Amino acid sequence: MNEEIATNGNATETNETENNLLELAKSNPDGISNDDIKRHMPDIPLTEITAIINKCLKNGIFDLFKTKDNLLYKYKDPSKKTMVKGADAEEKLVYKIIEEAGNKGIWIRDIRFGSNLNMTQLNKVLKSLETKKLIKCVKSVTASKKKVYMLFDLEPDSSVTGGAWYQDQDFESEFVDVLNQQCHRFLVEKLEEANTKSNGPLLARNRSYATANDVHKFISELGISKVSLTVEDIESILYTVVLDNNAERIVATNGSYVYKAVNRFLPSAGIVKTTCGICPVANRCAETGLINPKACSYFTDWLIQ
Amino acid sequence: MSSQLGKVVGLLLIERFGPVVEKVGTSLYQYGSSPLLHIKKRTDLPLSKVKESLTILIKYQLVTFTTNQNENIANYSLKSERVLLMLRYPKYINMIKKKFGDTSEMIIEELLQRSYITATEALLKVHERLTKNGDNVVSFSQLKNEFVSLVNAKYLIRLPVNEDTDKPVPKLVSNEKEMHILPPIDLNLIQKFKSAENVTFPDNDIYWQVNFDRFHQDMRDKIIVSAFTKKFDENAGELIKMLLQQMYIRTEPWVDVSNPIPILEIKDLARKQKSLGQLNTFFDQYVNIIEQDHSNLIRKAGEASGGSFQIYLKEAYTQFAWEIVEQSVMEKFDTKAARIFRLVKLKQYVEPDMIQRLAMIPAKEAKRLTYQLLEENFLQIQELRKAAVGGSGPMKSFTLFHIKLDLVVRMILELCYKTLFNVMTRRNHEKITNKRIIDKKQRVDTITLGMRSQGAEEDQLAEIEEMITPPEREILERIEKTMKKLNTVELEIDDTIFLLQIYLLCH
Repeated sequence: MNEEIATNGNATETNETENNLLELAKSNPDGISNDDIKRHMPDIPLTEITAIINKCLKNGIFDLFKTKDNLLYKYKDPSKKTMVKGADAEEKLVYKIIEEAGNKGIWIRDIRFGSNLNMTQLNKVLKSLETKKLIKCVKSVTASKKKVYMLFDLEPDSSVTGGAWYQDQDFESEFVDVLNQQCHRFLVEKLEEANTKSNGPLLARNRSYATANDVHKFISELGISKVSLTVEDIESILYTVVLDNNAERIVATNGSYVYKAVNRFLPSAGIVKTTCGICPVANRCAETGLINPKACSYFTDWLIQ
Repeated sequence: MSSQLGKVVGLLLIERFGPVVEKVGTSLYQYGSSPLLHIKKRTDLPLSKVKESLTILIKYQLVTFTTNQNENIANYSLKSERVLLMLRYPKYINMIKKKFGDTSEMIIEELLQRSYITATEALLKVHERLTKNGDNVVSFSQLKNEFVSLVNAKYLIRLPVNEDTDKPVPKLVSNEKEMHILPPIDLNLIQKFKSAENVTFPDNDIYWQVNFDRFHQDMRDKIIVSAFTKKFDENAGELIKMLLQQMYIRTEPWVDVSNPIPILEIKDLARKQKSLGQLNTFFDQYVNIIEQDHSNLIRKAGEASGGSFQIYLKEAYTQFAWEIVEQSVMEKFDTKAARIFRLVKLKQYVEPDMIQRLAMIPAKEAKRLTYQLLEENFLQIQELRKAAVGGSGPMKSFTLFHIKLDLVVRMILELCYKTLFNVMTRRNHEKITNKRIIDKKQRVDTITLGMRSQGAEEDQLAEIEEMITPPEREILERIEKTMKKLNTVELEIDDTIFLLQIYLLCH
């Protein structure tokens, strides 16, 4: 009876120690050394700690690292670890390599170098991991044939998927165009509103500036986007509006950019009103020859208009 | 000097002076400055014809001459830019009409038509025309005033005169100081001349010509003012107009950067004009806005006396040239290409990857457009090669895109000449193919006119009118529309040429 209580007490005590140790490990993502443990829990016997650490290492909760002459224990999320239960050593190794790559994914060649497995073996391992839904394969937008592997429950990084502008590796230029137009419309409306409502040009100008946040709010309320856009996404769209010479961008006092619709200096120039100014074969046009002004069909069409 | 320009010049000469003069002019354009006998040899025309053509061209100041090394022979050279100015005559006339009224317009018209005349001659001619038209006749003193004000405003200048008469090849010099000195016009003598008396006028040897530079100055100012009006609003345009006005007091008209103009002067000027209520109320704000704008065309030079401002004219031409080039890219390719073009302009040197990322254009399309722009010479490419280390390993090279504005502007100017040539050729072609109908129409018109003056009946006139059948009438209408369109375009292209030329002039 007495002995039982003693062991029970001992068990709860061990649990407490274990929890303490885990907490300590969690708060130090870089790992903890034996010295750290000793400093934090001076009153607990070393043998007990060793037992706990061994248990954790066995369960895969701790990773063991060695730097110079120090041993480090690193905490690892057991929820991920549990998935690999029942897997063989190769699978564990490959899984670990893929896991380290994070949401950027890792290329199959790099896995091969990292694991030192041969191609057929590695393919087998990857397939088995895929069927177990532990990892997934994602196509990268930067190179269409390049496949990268990452853990199944991870959201791919924007450098892999291309961000909001890509749908299955295809750049959605229509979507960008629509957003570009809407952003421009917003700025123009803001400018017009400022011009009619404000008293004096200076006030009108200051009012016509919009921040990316304003535009973001407007676009979100429009509901034209299925994916949720970040303010950075809107910034890059707004930059295209600037590049289209429809807006200007200046740096506000707080360091962020503000945008404003602008007019151009010149009405459309004479040269672009004619067919020749925009003619695709103007270089080959001459007095004589197949392409000449007398028989030019572009000219004829334009004159009939 | 381009072959395109040569063709345009040829067409213009043939249109205004006929084929013989054109032959001489084209030969001069092609071979540059050359003496009389060379021209004769190249053109294969009789000497008298060559001489006659040269006289005409010299009379219209399209050809100048300088002494050869042998001082007895003159070298003739064609002023091609001057030939091109003939396209602009309607614009000059229109400008004067708006600024000074109908009578002054007639004076300028007379001068443009005859290249140079004495003041008295001009007055007599205009008076004659006015009386012929039967309009309310303007007195000579009034005409004289108009002429004097044109001289004072520097729209007219004296023709350079021969310095020493004993040399075989005369050298024409103009005295800077005498350029705008008023001519002695004796109204009494004119009256005497009118009553058929034989008189000699005091200004018999003082000829006047049109000062094109002054007109171009006006054209430039108009462009700048309208640009500011378009970018900001009418009030800003007015402000710039006054700024330019004040600029002339201190600055030569064609400098790159004006001298500082005290803003208080402008303020006073604005206050005097009641119509500018809006501008007066927010004067400081307008100045502020224009000065702080991205374009940076007006910059503050100093704080003295309420601040003084400088106009960066060269900068303005550059920005206008950019806009034309950008428009050209946009219309020729599409908005995406224009976006790429502007991105390269902003970043100066760009890698292809950056273009794709910042312009938000799919990689493939961005690549296609970039190389298309490169192919058409709108973009330039610069390759940077990193020397391979130790002779092995992959060569690293960077491809950078950039723009040479001068080059692009020249290219577009060429395109303008080509367009002019095409428009003119097409117009001539349309005229030739429809010659029969046009001639018929003219015949019918003269007959109707003649019969009307004889007091013919209405139904008789209608009968004559019916000689032109409805389908013919339709064709005539179409031709008229075509001609109108071609003429308008010709003038509009000239606007572009003007802008590009002033850009090239100051670079």
